[in-house]
Amino acid sequence: MFYRLSGVYHSSLISDSRMFKVPADRNLAVFLLLIGLAAPFILPSLYLNSYILPWLIWTAAALGLNLVTGWAGQLHLGYAAVMAVGAYSAIHTVRLGVPWEIALIIGGLAASVIGSLFAFAALRVKGLYLALTTLAMQFVMDWVLTHSPTISGGSHSSLQAPTLALLGQQITSDAGYYYVALGWCVLVTIFMLNLKRTGLGRALVAVREKDFAAAILGVNSFYYKILAFAASSFIAGVSGALLVATFYFLAAPEQFSVNVSIQVLAMVIVGGLGSIIGSYFGVALILLVPGLVNGLVVTASEELGMQVNVETLAHIPNAVYGALIVIILMIEPLGLGKLYGNIRDYLMTWPFDQLRK
Amino acid sequence: MAGTLALAEPFKVGVCYDLSKAYTFATPQVSQAAMDVAKLINMQGGIGGEPVEVIVRDHGNEPQRGIECYSRLSREGVFVFDTLSTPVSLAILPRAMEDGRILMQSLVGRGDAVDGTVFEWVYPVGPTYWGQMANDIGYIKQLHDDDLSDVKIGYIYFDYPFGQEPIEILKTLSQKEGFELLLYPVPLPGSDQSGAWSKMRRDNPDHVISWMLGGAHVVASKEMQRNRIPMDKYISVNWLNEVDIANIGAEAATGLKRGTNVVGGQDVPLRLEIINKLYDEGEGSGPLVNTQDVYYNTGLAMYSIIFEAARRAADLEGMPITAESYKKGLESLENYDANGLMAPITVTAEDHGGGGKTRIEMWDGETWVPQTDWIAAYGEVVWDVVRESSSKYGE
Repeated sequence: MFYRLSGVYHSSLISDSRMFKVPADRNLAVFLLLIGLAAPFILPSLYLNSYILPWLIWTAAALGLNLVTGWAGQLHLGYAAVMAVGAYSAIHTVRLGVPWEIALIIGGLAASVIGSLFAFAALRVKGLYLALTTLAMQFVMDWVLTHSPTISGGSHSSLQAPTLALLGQQITSDAGYYYVALGWCVLVTIFMLNLKRTGLGRALVAVREKDFAAAILGVNSFYYKILAFAASSFIAGVSGALLVATFYFLAAPEQFSVNVSIQVLAMVIVGGLGSIIGSYFGVALILLVPGLVNGLVVTASEELGMQVNVETLAHIPNAVYGALIVIILMIEPLGLGKLYGNIRDYLMTWPFDQLRK
Repeated sequence: MAGTLALAEPFKVGVCYDLSKAYTFATPQVSQAAMDVAKLINMQGGIGGEPVEVIVRDHGNEPQRGIECYSRLSREGVFVFDTLSTPVSLAILPRAMEDGRILMQSLVGRGDAVDGTVFEWVYPVGPTYWGQMANDIGYIKQLHDDDLSDVKIGYIYFDYPFGQEPIEILKTLSQKEGFELLLYPVPLPGSDQSGAWSKMRRDNPDHVISWMLGGAHVVASKEMQRNRIPMDKYISVNWLNEVDIANIGAEAATGLKRGTNVVGGQDVPLRLEIINKLYDEGEGSGPLVNTQDVYYNTGLAMYSIIFEAARRAADLEGMPITAESYKKGLESLENYDANGLMAPITVTAEDHGGGGKTRIEMWDGETWVPQTDWIAAYGEVVWDVVRESSSKYGE
């Protein structure tokens, strides 16, 4: 009924390798994109700029991490550090008088170079050892940022981003920032959707499942791992730069600290490893739910006239949010993306499959 | 239009605090003080005939949630914000500057924001870490009869922007006064300081200035005992409270000093009034024990200033108070000390810090004994550093 299908059957290789195998999925994506384009006219600026905009940029960043962790299967605990490289190099480049378009690419490339350089050393080890090595990168970056005023912008460690300007147009409006974020997020999403269909994507999945089995099949696992790190670092770098350019307006070390790295990893895991739609859900849960639950708890306590200590009030949302993560992962260990997939699969042929039973 | 909307609205302060993560060593006491001051003012008829309101929200020390808190409360008509968190203050600052809303950032955030000619909407009332450090050196200079040439001063600090910030001032003053400066960085969270203190024993500085927080003071005191360094050499930043003293041990902490911009202890007139009118009636905003803490006094000082400025704004420009008139109210504060609660402050359009006075207090085993008057030393040196830094904003 919803998908108007009795099942997914392919009769040619071309139909099997389509980006959207089910027309309803494509329609839904187009519909969501249209809503996304219309959002500045529908939503009040508070929601647009305090919730949707960071959500989109973090989703782009999480998709980048999903590339290396979800697709290539390499645990990465220093993702925020890579974002920081991108952010700081882009801002410094702009401050030198280079246009933003080029600076964003330079930021991405710088992150890519540092990210893959580190991966060169780190990829000599696997699994948890790799995770710890990437964590080390995070600490190295923290140290560099807090100890080099030239990079971090003086003794206060805050570096102001010049006004964002793209294609000769200064961007200062809420809607402008939003469209930049939306554009980047859509771009990364399209890249990730296509990645599934390419030889590169399949090679990464082969490396994830068993790297020496992949090697036997002729897949150079080290090369593909580096490639995954480089591509994901590029996405991280540009996302970091855009995060500062459109949301924070200045870069500070705390915005890219170790807990941010862990948060992004949580977004990817809660969303679902290797799931694109899951990244959207995961980011929403990790980034937005604490604030929303906080608002709900405060409103509820005011409505009910409860005399709750502000400190207790601040901790209740944390408990709710923690419980939410645990419950979701207990219901579906493969994350929110899989949860969505289950519902979709159930509805795919509904109600016709009921007749068969 | 904003003015007419605000007519029936009370004067509100947006208290976007970190009540669940890194700053919880001070935020419960400070926010409780904020609510108590507001209650007291409302009992006495409010400001300009309208009740005042503090809206306390948690941002978990996350810049993203701080911005959310700021945007949300802005829509509810709040134009005075306080974050008590450096990362969040930094994140809100560009928006407040753009939107023309007041950002109070006592004791946190970028110190060069005292330069009102650059940071029009930011008010770090109270001492900056730079000013506080200069005052500490001023105190040591008093001890050594105005001659620091043979003096060794050790500086132990969190190796992090918070602790690194005053180094510039220290170096400048060391050149100016000729004292020897020894630096002892300590990694966060300060639980491992053994290397720094055994080096300190060899160097044997005459005074040790400490830019650390909470449990790190306790670790430092243990290391000092282990290395037989007398406690009276220790001069702490203002972040040292009764809980830390209790953890060190009241007896063992004898001789320890701290810089402060508020009067410590429980006999402060405003606190006594609040205890009398609120807590004795069961109307307090939280547990009584929170009020027996110097950070509660700090909160009283911060919010006395915030509401006094509102009162003056109402007197000067009438109701409703707007961001513009509130700014005038703040800048009319002259030698205001909230009835003997804190160092007198004078806020001007140029100096948003209020003069940056502090004093040194010593723990005598039972209570805090002032060692100096309220002082603001080396004003020109501090302002040189401030201007040097603030001139780079907006480049």
